[in-house]
Amino acid sequence: MSEEAQGPSRARALGRREILVLAAAWLVPGSGHLVLGRRLRAVAFLAIIAIAIAVGVTLEGNLYRVDPERPLTVLATLASIGMGAAYFVLRFGLGYTGHVVAAGYEYGTAFLLTGGLMNLLLVLDVWDLLKSQRE
Amino acid sequence: MPVSHFLLMTLYAFLVSAFFSLLWKRSGRARWKLFLQLFVCMMGGAVLLAWLMYPFPSGPPAPLHGG
Repeated sequence: MSEEAQGPSRARALGRREILVLAAAWLVPGSGHLVLGRRLRAVAFLAIIAIAIAVGVTLEGNLYRVDPERPLTVLATLASIGMGAAYFVLRFGLGYTGHVVAAGYEYGTAFLLTGGLMNLLLVLDVWDLLKSQRE
Repeated sequence: MPVSHFLLMTLYAFLVSAFFSLLWKRSGRARWKLFLQLFVCMMGGAVLLAWLMYPFPSGPPAPLHGG
């Protein structure tokens, strides 16, 4: 009886921790792996994604936002938001949008989208690691 | 900023190859193997595609603004 009473609360506690780790993994690339003790991979992932975003911004690529007249921008915006806190810092903190006539615009957009998508894959990897830890 | 297509392509291939080799493989040897496979495939594929497209004319540049 006491085990049954403890079971759901234990599951809730783990769920809350998982959500916090996943949120951290999304906000700062590599932080989820860092929390789970995979330091080297965390640093490598952070470096890779930071370089991708920095190159994208340097080339003045497009940081997508939703355009109601172009429905596919919803998907591109979600992919960009995947980079986590960097998206909001760039968009709202620095007012960055990209420059459509810049020579590296298309390349920069590819780098920015790739940075976001890579971080989303990292979040899924952290989720997988958390599940395997739980089991 | 000067834009070198080849340099940017190489950097992109490097980053993506490094990312997936770290994500999917655990041992050092397997990581290097996957990294080289991905990197060579991306670079070689791009060069091959460029070579295949070479005979076709590029045409006039697309206008930046409509009207």
